[in-house]
Amino acid sequence: MMTTVSNPDPYHSIEGGYPIVARGLERHFGSGDDVVKAVDGVDLHIEPGEIFGFLGPNGAGKSTTVRMLTTLLRPTGGSARVAGFDVVEESDDVRRNIGVALQDAAIDPLMTGAELLHLQAVLYGLPKSQHRTRAQELLERVGLTAAADRRVGTYSGGMRRRLDLALSLIHEPSVLFLDEPTTGLDPMSRISLWEEIRRLNNDGTTVLLTTQYLEEADQLAERIAIIDNGKIVRRGRPAELKAEVGSPTLFVAVPAEMHDAASAVLVHFGELRPSPEGTLGVGLPDGPGAVSGVVRRLDEAGVHVRNLELHEPSLDDVFAEATGHRLEGASDGAENEPVSP
Amino acid sequence: MTTTLVTDPPRVPPDRPVLHTSNIAQTWAMSKRAILAMWRQPSLVIPSMVFPLFFIALGTSAFSRAINVPGFPEVDSYLDFALAGAVVQGVLFGSVTGATALATDVENGFFDRLLASPSTRPGIIVGRLAGGMAYGAFQTAFFMVVLLPFGLEIKGGPVGAVALVASGTLLALAVGAIMSTMAIRTGSSEAVQGAFPLLFIALFFSSAFFPRSTMSGFYATLADYNPISYLVEGMRDLVIGGLTWWALSRAILLPALLAVGGVALALRSLNKRLAAS
Repeated sequence: MMTTVSNPDPYHSIEGGYPIVARGLERHFGSGDDVVKAVDGVDLHIEPGEIFGFLGPNGAGKSTTVRMLTTLLRPTGGSARVAGFDVVEESDDVRRNIGVALQDAAIDPLMTGAELLHLQAVLYGLPKSQHRTRAQELLERVGLTAAADRRVGTYSGGMRRRLDLALSLIHEPSVLFLDEPTTGLDPMSRISLWEEIRRLNNDGTTVLLTTQYLEEADQLAERIAIIDNGKIVRRGRPAELKAEVGSPTLFVAVPAEMHDAASAVLVHFGELRPSPEGTLGVGLPDGPGAVSGVVRRLDEAGVHVRNLELHEPSLDDVFAEATGHRLEGASDGAENEPVSP
Repeated sequence: MTTTLVTDPPRVPPDRPVLHTSNIAQTWAMSKRAILAMWRQPSLVIPSMVFPLFFIALGTSAFSRAINVPGFPEVDSYLDFALAGAVVQGVLFGSVTGATALATDVENGFFDRLLASPSTRPGIIVGRLAGGMAYGAFQTAFFMVVLLPFGLEIKGGPVGAVALVASGTLLALAVGAIMSTMAIRTGSSEAVQGAFPLLFIALFFSSAFFPRSTMSGFYATLADYNPISYLVEGMRDLVIGGLTWWALSRAILLPALLAVGGVALALRSLNKRLAAS
């Protein structure tokens, strides 16, 4: 006999209020010695009405997690509930309640924006009387009214993303998944998409967005989780996470043969931190005031300093501290894991 | 029941529209999309209309006296003889288009967008196949109408013509389903297009262009075992012989059986793909 009266477990109580809950979510590909743990025990509790940022390099497990939460991929372990429904057992209910814009704005290039919105309205079962008004409303919202009857193949990257967003909103979902919504966009398009996401969030939509851009996570997300190698390594509010890293980082560019000499000097000022190629990074617990001292001591040691940069703590530092490597610039040469089959 | 009191209704903001998904409406919308895709890619579709006509024009002028060869069935012209082969050729060509489009959906991620929606899963395939059937019907009718002024005579009469259209439609379903199976399994439009020469070879090793009674050796054996031979001959009998149960059963029943098998395969591969993901 199981008790049916109360269940203190927030996981099973929708009134507990989490639009997205994941527990020990796992996805392994392959088997035996070749097993790749794309997602390796992810826990998430996303609050109603928040923008949650999922930050990590390519292949970290962001997309695989999103694919599981949006019912496109079956977890090999753990469980998740989205909009109150189990992603495996009640996948159809999940689909009805979520909006999904996947990576690369996958849209049929042969159809027009208006046609795609109509198709989407039918697929989500929007009442027929609302098709036209809803489509017009969304086209206007994302600034595509003039392009409505043009084939998507003629759209720019930014226009495709905006249409993709409009498509995912056709049924006014309470939870929205955006998988790298601005990857490959120019800065202007990125900012206009950010504004739109904020506007949606102000209207009460819970948003989970993945990104490999620190700035995006910083600008948009109220809380973030940093994922690396399938595991969440840090989570919290961006400001708090940055404060935890604490001190600013000084990057010193020196010739390769002087690295050791320079390191020997720098350790006196603080702990060495991961840094871009050709530079050394050191944390300065005493703040920016220590910079002149560093320069003097390096000079005394005969180290030729090519360049100096002082960085206030950023999410990149949070990331570096958590994972031992930097996010920015690492995304192109990174050893990628399969994102999905 | 252990969770009745625990599971409260989901949080739904009050202004959300009430959704009523309908499998029929979804499948219909997917069919329209399939037809639209063909309409908007004339360069992919026109060859399947033009090539069979080109073959038939070539054959009719080059082989006009072949009909006197011993073993050739009694026909008024090579044109009457060749119609069935042209229809099958056209439909084989055309069916690749739909399956390629399906594979492209998988490749570019649109398939995932469909799967992320609460739409009917079989409807994704069935819609494509329905579009292919509409095109098969159109092609068959088109070939007959174009060739009528050139002396085409359908001995089976209007009923025979309707049966031919039905045959072309069912064949489009059968071939479309088999090619779609491949599209779903491989998720590669190149693999689907790469299979096309195989279809073409299968067509040439059949009685599509010459009667089996005029063939010999290994070629004749292949044609004997090739189901396309019997399909073509059934359709051909409707044109040059007349309306008989034997002709109808080969022209209609054979592609219908192939279609049942093909659709079962396609849906099975879809389920496999969904289960594996």
